[in-house]
Amino acid sequence: MLKTASRTISRAYSTDQLKPFQSHLSVLLNKAGGVVDDTIVTKHGDDSYYIVTNAGCRDKDTAFFKEELAKFDQDKQIVHENFEGTLLAIQGPKAQEVVAKFTNTPLADLYFGNSRFIDLQGFGTDAKFHIARGGYTGEDGFEISIPDSKVGVDFFNALLEYDEIVKPIGLAARDSLRLEAGMCLYGHELNEDVTPIEASLNWLVSKSRRSPESATFNGADKIISQINNPKSVSFKRVGLVSKGPSPRHGNKIFSAEEPFKQIGTVCSGSPSPSCGRNVAQVFLDKPYNKTGTKVKVEIRGKLRDAEVAKMPFYPTSYYKGA
Amino acid sequence: MFSRSFLTNNLRSLSQTVSHQYGAAQKVQFINFSARLQSTFKLNPESIASTYSQEPKLKFTNEHEWISIHPDGTGFIGITNYAADALGDATFIELPAHQIGEKIDNGETISSIESVKSASDIYSPISGEIVEVNEKLDQSPELINTDPMGEGWIVKVKVDEGSSLDELMDVDAYKTFVENSEH
Repeated sequence: MLKTASRTISRAYSTDQLKPFQSHLSVLLNKAGGVVDDTIVTKHGDDSYYIVTNAGCRDKDTAFFKEELAKFDQDKQIVHENFEGTLLAIQGPKAQEVVAKFTNTPLADLYFGNSRFIDLQGFGTDAKFHIARGGYTGEDGFEISIPDSKVGVDFFNALLEYDEIVKPIGLAARDSLRLEAGMCLYGHELNEDVTPIEASLNWLVSKSRRSPESATFNGADKIISQINNPKSVSFKRVGLVSKGPSPRHGNKIFSAEEPFKQIGTVCSGSPSPSCGRNVAQVFLDKPYNKTGTKVKVEIRGKLRDAEVAKMPFYPTSYYKGA
Repeated sequence: MFSRSFLTNNLRSLSQTVSHQYGAAQKVQFINFSARLQSTFKLNPESIASTYSQEPKLKFTNEHEWISIHPDGTGFIGITNYAADALGDATFIELPAHQIGEKIDNGETISSIESVKSASDIYSPISGEIVEVNEKLDQSPELINTDPMGEGWIVKVKVDEGSSLDELMDVDAYKTFVENSEH
């Protein structure tokens, strides 16, 4: 949990100001505009933000916040607390039906990208739990933060009793969903040498943060310059589809016309259970990044046909209200 | 700071719950698993890997390939039930169709099996010549899961007369090998 001033958040992030209990995907940036980590940031109040980052980046993220906070001498009252506990994601078209069995708090008016605190009934606690509508699968769903591990495990087991509509799945299955939804995974589509613009995440740099006065985030010079001069960006993150062996992280991509010319690299790829073909997210040099462009992917020493495709590969179905 | 993917630390006790409307792949895996258990270390007696001759010898590698070797030197190569379980649902089998008639060495890669999350190379347990590939796998990669030691055979070979079988395990040795690798 990060309790900090909006000003600090503005510096670390490139995204707009949020309304209370609204969430947004954003990125932590280094001075060169590279991505330190991607995060979901939720505003709880003008002086309180809730930030979810990647477990694998925990140490460097903690160091990042410490370093950013140190720049604000006058704001020494800023407190950054790491949260311990359980995060349960309940995803899919019946997510609301399932969670509603455990809470008296209404969920029908909790839309995608928003959060609130809810009660959980039947676990011997009056505590309120942070619930966010979302979950990085492209589907409707919730993420519930449960600080007490016993409550977390009990809740998990109680969910599984609805085995007609609830199934436990692991991270790999969840990763297939995020890949089909065309979302980035840190360490694959995002890293410290890639800017949000190269990663085709221009939308993370809010319009209101692009002027010289408002573009105060790390790496703003480079990022704003890339937005204003698209031709200065030599490669972009795009989608790829193929049949046969699947493109995987690290596979090289070659031009279909000049098979000795490497034009890109696969960030992540796998057979898509929902689409019935292979899907991949790749960094591809311009001008090969246009939808429909035929390319070759080197898999086990052989060049295989693939084609640049639009993302998401599978349509998202978020809960946005009527 | 609370982590979106923090369940990597807790996978044994916890997991996310997802009821994705296209989750059929996971369901299939459960069914296959229970159907396979009773025949873990035996050839499917109905399949060509077994019925090609009266008395095939069955051998295993420490990479979890099996080979049934028949008296005329013909061999069928596949992966064991144990390996198929570990891989999960096969989505694509790369067959050495372009290598039919070619010599292969012991230990050479002859195939690759892909599942949604991985790709694994399959190595030849012997030296010999590739005679045939199991083309059924092109259309039905799931045979690797439903019948890995039968209809899911991958390559048919002619084993070199001088090819040593000494380093291959018999069924008892392989059972012990699997038990030990599970500890």
